[in-house]
Amino acid sequence: MSVIEQLVSGLGMPNFVILIPEIIILLTAFTVFILELFTKNRKVISSISILGLVASGGFILVIMLGILKLILTPITLKEASSNPFYSFIINNFLENFVTLYGLYVVDLFSLVFKLFLVVGTIFVFIHLRPYLEAKQTYYAEFYYLILFSLVGMFIMVSSPNLISFYIGLELMSVSLYVLIGLYRKDYKSKEGAYKYLIIGGTGTAIVSYAIALLYGRTGTFDFKEIAQSIITLESVDVGLIGGLVLLLVGLALKASAVPFHHWAPDAYQGATTPITAFLAVPAKIATYAIILRIVVEAFPSLTETWGFAWALFAAASMILGNLVALRQRNVKRMLAYSSIAHTGYIVAALAAPTGMGFAALAFYSIVYLFMGAGAFLLLASLEKNKGWNNTLDDFKGLAKREPIIALLMLIFMFSLLGIPPTVGFIGKLGVFLALIGYEVWWLAVVLVITSIVSAGYYLKVVANMYMYEPSNNSKINVSLVEKLSLGVLAILVLILGIYPTQIWTLTTTISSLLMAGVGR
Amino acid sequence: MSIPYEYYVALSGLLMVLGLVGVTVRKNIIAVLLSTELMLNAVNIAFVAFDMKLHDVAGQVFVFFILTIAAAEAAIGLGLVMAIYRLRKDVDVEKLTELKL
Repeated sequence: MSVIEQLVSGLGMPNFVILIPEIIILLTAFTVFILELFTKNRKVISSISILGLVASGGFILVIMLGILKLILTPITLKEASSNPFYSFIINNFLENFVTLYGLYVVDLFSLVFKLFLVVGTIFVFIHLRPYLEAKQTYYAEFYYLILFSLVGMFIMVSSPNLISFYIGLELMSVSLYVLIGLYRKDYKSKEGAYKYLIIGGTGTAIVSYAIALLYGRTGTFDFKEIAQSIITLESVDVGLIGGLVLLLVGLALKASAVPFHHWAPDAYQGATTPITAFLAVPAKIATYAIILRIVVEAFPSLTETWGFAWALFAAASMILGNLVALRQRNVKRMLAYSSIAHTGYIVAALAAPTGMGFAALAFYSIVYLFMGAGAFLLLASLEKNKGWNNTLDDFKGLAKREPIIALLMLIFMFSLLGIPPTVGFIGKLGVFLALIGYEVWWLAVVLVITSIVSAGYYLKVVANMYMYEPSNNSKINVSLVEKLSLGVLAILVLILGIYPTQIWTLTTTISSLLMAGVGR
Repeated sequence: MSIPYEYYVALSGLLMVLGLVGVTVRKNIIAVLLSTELMLNAVNIAFVAFDMKLHDVAGQVFVFFILTIAAAEAAIGLGLVMAIYRLRKDVDVEKLTELKL
C-alpha cells in the first residue's frame, strides 16, 4: 500500500507523546528565533537554549532508564503496569513506539544516541557564549540553527525509513552549511562552508540516487521491508548492489571517511571553533548511528559486502588521516585530520558484523563525544585570547602559563591517542577485540599501527606544552565556567576509562536489541 | 505507445554522471553549484521512472522532498557565492584556496 493510501485510509492520530523531546527542542528553537527580535541579551538567549536542551535531555534520560529497568530486571508485566510510570512507558515506548505512520521510531537505540547528542550540544552551548563575546560578534542564529540541526539528527537516528532518514540528514546538513559560513567578514568560514556545501551536496545527490535505485529494485523505502525483499530475491543484481554501494559512498562522505574526506579539514578550520566541535562530534555521532541502523536493519543478508566496504573505508581513513595529521602545524586542522582517523577507528567495527562489533561502534562513538568535544572546545576557549592562532608554537609553554588547561589538554590528547587510564583506550580495545573475534586480522593490525603513528602528533602537542619555555607570557584568559565544563568532560574521560561497565552494558543492550529487531 | 522506463533511468544516470563531471572540472563556483543541482534533478527523473515501473506514487512523493532540499541548498549556495564575491571579488575555484595544508 502506498503512503497516500495509508494516509487517507485513516490510521488515526500519531502518538505524539514519544515525540516530546523533539517538540521541546523545536519550541526552544522558535522561542529563541522570536526572542532575538526583542532582546540582544546574550545570557537570556543562551540560558533559554540550554534550559530547553536540559528539559529534553532529562525527559529522554528518565524514559531511557525506565526502559532499561523494564528490559534488564525481571519485573513481571502485571507488577509494572500497576506503577503509573512504568505503565506510561509500556503504553508509549514499548508497545506504541512507531509513530507518524511508520516513518518515525523511538526505540532504545535512538533514545541512547539522542541523550548523548543532547549532552554534546549542551557543552557546545556552554562554550559558545564566551567565544562569541570575546570575538565581539553575536548572532542568535547560532543558537536556533544548532537546535534545528539537532532536530535533524534526532530524526536521523530514529528513522526506520529512507524518507525520514533523508529528511533528517538534510535538515542537519543544511543547518550546518549555514552555521559554518555564519562568521561575518571572515573569508575562511565562507570558503569552508562553500566546500562543504559542494561536497555535501554531491553526497546528498549520491544518497538520493542510491535511494532511487533501492526503491526501484525493492519498491519500498522501509528498512525492514527492504531487508525482506532482498531475502526473497533469487539473485543479487546490479541495481541492488549499485544502490547499496552508492548508499555506502554517500554515508561515508557524510561521515568524512577517506577517500571522501576533502571537505572535513577545510570546513573544520573555517568554522568558528565551537561550531567545529558541534560539527566534529554530535553530527558525526548521529551519522555513525544511522550507518549502524541502516546496514543492520536494511541489509542484514549482505554483511559480506558492506563489511568489506567499511573495512576498506576504515583502513584508508586510519592510514591517511593519521599520516596527514603528522605534518600539520595548525592544531585545529590537525584535530580535523584526527577526527577523520577516528571515523576510521569507529567504522572499522563494521568490518566485524557481530553483536560485539556493533556494540564497539556504539561505545566508541558515544565516548568520542567526551574526548572530541573536549579537545575542540578547549581550543575554542584558548582561541578567545588575542594572538592565539592555534598553531603548535602557540602551545609552547602552556603548562607554565595556564597549568589547569594544559592538564586538561593532556588528558584529552592521551584519550584520543588511546592510553590506558582514559576511555579512548577502552574504545579502541572494543573495536580491536571485535575485529579479532571475527578474524579480520589485517584491519586489527592497521588499527594498532596507525594508533602508534598517531602518537607522533598528539604527543607533539603535549611535549610543546610541557617541555618548552613560553615565548610570550601574557595572561591566558579562560573563564571559570569553561574550566568547569572542560573539567567535567576530562573527569568523564577518566572515570569511563576506569569504569566503562555502565556504558558498555548499555551499548551491548542496544546492539543486541538492534540485531534481534526487537526495537521494532 | 509509451517509452519504456529503462530509457528514463539511462537518462538520469547520464545526467548524474554529467553533474559529477561538472563538479570536478568546472572552474566557476556558480557552475559548480549548478552541477550539484543537476545531479539532484537526475535523481528526480530516476524516481519518476521507477514509479512508472512499479505503478506506485511513493517515488513521486519523494521527488517533492528532493525539490525542497534542492531549493534550500541552492539558496544557501548562492548566498555563500554572494558573500565570497563580496569579500574577494572573484568566482574562480583555483584562486579561492586560502585553506590548505
